[in-house]
Amino acid sequence: MPFREKSAWIMSVALLFGGAFYFFAVLSGSSAAGGLISPNIPLIVIYTVCLVVIATAGHIVIAMLAPKDANAPVDEREQQIFIRAGHYSSYLIGLGIVLSLGLYIVGGSGDLLFYTVFASLMIGQTAEYLLQILFYRT
Amino acid sequence: MGKRPPIDNRVRELREQHGGLTQAALGEAIGLTRQTVIAIEQNRYSPSLETAFRIARLFDVGVEDVFIWTE
Repeated sequence: MPFREKSAWIMSVALLFGGAFYFFAVLSGSSAAGGLISPNIPLIVIYTVCLVVIATAGHIVIAMLAPKDANAPVDEREQQIFIRAGHYSSYLIGLGIVLSLGLYIVGGSGDLLFYTVFASLMIGQTAEYLLQILFYRT
Repeated sequence: MGKRPPIDNRVRELREQHGGLTQAALGEAIGLTRQTVIAIEQNRYSPSLETAFRIARLFDVGVEDVFIWTE
């Protein structure tokens, strides 16, 4: 498996775990409060730290297992894979943003707007890494 | 990656003719990963013109001796 495919797996797992943690915390906090809680900085900081720790630790491990691959430059096929994955995932992010804006117009909740935009970014970024894996394998 | 191109190639055959050059060694010589060399050999990826020339020059043959249009 190429180094950058392993990297995409790590980032996918980190984003999925991080996203699951974040939205589980938001949903459980909201059900306890009896309504949608406002976005808070400590939760975002915890999410970011989790993401950085998983990504960094994962990359250190795969780089130690294959240092030569880790240092090799991106080749032409990989460049195409990254461009295609970024292209398709950008549609997903755009769709998420449009839906978020629609929800805001209908409901007028700024908190919900924050969460849906944040979720769109997470989903779009995860989709980008998953598409990279798919394109590596096809 | 995507639709298979109508191009066949003799990369694997030429590698074997040149002392069993490995996919990794070929990749390193022309600036590709081993997985990209595998993708080229399996016709899953058509290399750029520059890479096609690099492969041909490495094996000391013409580009059309390496890549064959199949339609």
